[in-house]
Amino acid sequence: MSLEVLGISVLMTFLFGYIIVGAIDFGAGFFNAYSLLTGKERILTNVIQRYLSPVWEVTNVFLVFFFVGMIGFFPSTAFYYGTTMLVPLSLALILLAVRGSYYAFETYGARGHKGYSFMYGAAGLLLPASLSIVLTISEGGFIDMVDGQPVLDYAALFTSPLTWAIVFLSIAATLYISAVFLTWYAWKAGDPDATNLLRKYALIWALPTIITATGIVWELRNHNPEHYNQLLGLWWMFVLSGALFIGTVYLLWKRRNYGLMVWLLIGQFAFAFYGYGISHYPYLLYPHLTIYDSFTNPAMATALIIAFILGLALLVPSLYLLLRMFLFNKDYVKGRKKDEHA
Amino acid sequence: MGNEEAVFFSRLLTELTLSFHIIYATIGVGVPLMIMIAQWVGIKKNDEHYILLARRWARGFVITVAVGVVTGTAIGMQLSLLWPNFMELAGQVIALPLFMETFAFFFEAIFLGIYLYTWDRFDNQKKHMLLLVPVAIGASFSAVFITMVNAFMNAPKGFDLVDGNLVNIQPLAAMFNPAMPTKVAHVVVTAYMTAAFVLAAIAAFRLLKGSDHVYHKKALYLTMKLGLIFSIGAAVIGDFSGKYLAEYQPEKLAAAEWHFETEGKAPLMMYGVLDGQEVKYAIKIPYALSILAHSNPTAEVIGLNDFPEDEIPPLYVHYLFDTMVTIGVLMILISGVFWLGRHLGWRFIQSRWFCWLLVAGGPLSIIAIEMGWWYAEVGRQPWILRGIMKVPEAATTSGQVDTMLYLFALLYLVLGVGSVIVLRRMFRRNPVEREIADREQARIEEERVKGGDLS
Amino acid sequence: MDEFLMFYAPFIVLIGAIIIAFIVAPMDGAATRPPKEKKK
Repeated sequence: MSLEVLGISVLMTFLFGYIIVGAIDFGAGFFNAYSLLTGKERILTNVIQRYLSPVWEVTNVFLVFFFVGMIGFFPSTAFYYGTTMLVPLSLALILLAVRGSYYAFETYGARGHKGYSFMYGAAGLLLPASLSIVLTISEGGFIDMVDGQPVLDYAALFTSPLTWAIVFLSIAATLYISAVFLTWYAWKAGDPDATNLLRKYALIWALPTIITATGIVWELRNHNPEHYNQLLGLWWMFVLSGALFIGTVYLLWKRRNYGLMVWLLIGQFAFAFYGYGISHYPYLLYPHLTIYDSFTNPAMATALIIAFILGLALLVPSLYLLLRMFLFNKDYVKGRKKDEHA
Repeated sequence: MGNEEAVFFSRLLTELTLSFHIIYATIGVGVPLMIMIAQWVGIKKNDEHYILLARRWARGFVITVAVGVVTGTAIGMQLSLLWPNFMELAGQVIALPLFMETFAFFFEAIFLGIYLYTWDRFDNQKKHMLLLVPVAIGASFSAVFITMVNAFMNAPKGFDLVDGNLVNIQPLAAMFNPAMPTKVAHVVVTAYMTAAFVLAAIAAFRLLKGSDHVYHKKALYLTMKLGLIFSIGAAVIGDFSGKYLAEYQPEKLAAAEWHFETEGKAPLMMYGVLDGQEVKYAIKIPYALSILAHSNPTAEVIGLNDFPEDEIPPLYVHYLFDTMVTIGVLMILISGVFWLGRHLGWRFIQSRWFCWLLVAGGPLSIIAIEMGWWYAEVGRQPWILRGIMKVPEAATTSGQVDTMLYLFALLYLVLGVGSVIVLRRMFRRNPVEREIADREQARIEEERVKGGDLS
Repeated sequence: MDEFLMFYAPFIVLIGAIIIAFIVAPMDGAATRPPKEKKK
């Protein structure tokens, strides 16, 4: 495996991690706000707070990790994406900032403050939408080179059906992933009311997720035939992904094996995500930038990979400890431990 | 928007983000160590007050950390959004510490989550304190790695420039550039110092507002003592920084000192005004600049006239530097007098005016931090990467920077106001006197239950 | 000499300060000591 491919694989893995933990987090914020709106907070808030509290900060790091690694391995992305993405990414940053800090304000300062909760929930829906724009732009066709400088064509971007298909997928997938995960979590917490409600949400969002995902592949055929053809070459990954999706929904329907269901869900998104990513190869930005011409020098790449391995050696045990103490700790999940913050 | 405007607004937005972020970042780096020391003292002396101190500090810390995290994410991304050409070039050489910083931050985030929610899970306080060690280490190392990147901007090393291309790149040499040791040590030690004085200001404020509880007295004495130690450390490392500047960035030192002619026996000028190249009304300390630059009262110090006019920083950095130094010295004096006074039983250190001085020490330290960073950044002008790339070449060509500036200004206003309101409410609602009484009550209750079981 | 002051001394001072902080932190006898001549 070349250094370039190794680098992009590492980054994709972190992006995948962010998509999953971020989706759970964003969706949880939305469901929490929604339950306040519909007067069902008694059912949901407890479970959601219990999950979110110790992990909210960790979620954010996945994102930071991804973009810092991107600049590290592929510095030219700073030039292309940095110049063109000022507005969408600044908006995402502002949402992220409002969301993150107001979560802390609400949880530690003013529990139950409705205004904070709504802001938190709304930001959670807008974020995946604004971040997903990056994926849209990477498909090419929205960036023109003017005097050697990349310029984003907003009119083309916002009138393209591809853009909106990706935006809708990001929102639907966020809510679907989150609802499925929280169904399992609520079931683990021994909370049948919350489990049933979340299961219902998961089933509601399953169909839109799969429809928008198919829609994107359809749109891609017109928008970027090269990518579309490579995508077809990896048909088996998408078939597997679809099979896992059916499996997830089946278990959800039958109220069985919620633990296995979460793994099927992760598998479904992993196959779809990596299938999409691999077929994107070798472009980081159609048709301007490939992983080869944007790659950093070998000395830096080697140093980054060594740092990455050492860092993982430190992080994996720490993450395991975090999960063991909260996510997989029966007493904590069920709320038996008196673990009030500070 | 022309490119000049884009450069202007990019500078303004970066300055705004950094100035806001640095307040929370400094507290975020410094406070974990203070919490750790307080908890450690509590365990060692078996004193509930210190444990409670650690716990209450930790509670407030979460709020500041949240704002620090989100604004840190903002500045991290803004580097690429506003300075894409700089990141494309510098990323090839200095990406390593940037990457490692995320690991340090990750490490801190994980253990902070665990630490906050496990106050009552361990019977042994020591085990709980162990969870704080990675938080403190992660916080300090975040500062170390990110300051390495900033040091690199001041003293780029670890590559050769051939026809505008970077070759022969050595990431480690870039990390351990000449500016790194003094800069990193100064940033970290002043973060500890500022955290100590901010926490001291809170304790002093409570005492002023009529609380006479021994809890606040212990808190004040502890934080003032720590502040004294770290402010002396800051001054000593600041002196080393002078030696670094004299050798590697003489124009930055000379601009701070309004030192125009290269000469020996150089005096140090404090404040004053500039008339052409003449310094008027300044406090002149003979030989002091030579000593600062080379530890030798007669040593020659390079002056600004040795540099081309378009490569020297704006001369107002003199005032930034002077304000920083003045506050630093003042804080050493205040905390030194307080410490001596406590030992020798001086009465005036308990007077209201002295207490107000201690309260002022918190904001003053933060002002010193701001001045220091402005000096560090403006003093590097016109370079973004000293000797390699100037600021205008680095900036984005995007036309919407001004709008983003207003949006972010609004964001920081919301975050700043929000964090202050939440912090105030948090501690108002649960004053320490009540918490101590509650805990006492709970313990008596528990003991009675145990006693009942036995009989 | 200057090399030493620029490269090693900053870290020595920093680490030294942290160690001293831990050593002197528990010495809090003076924290609650009343002032010498109380004239109340």
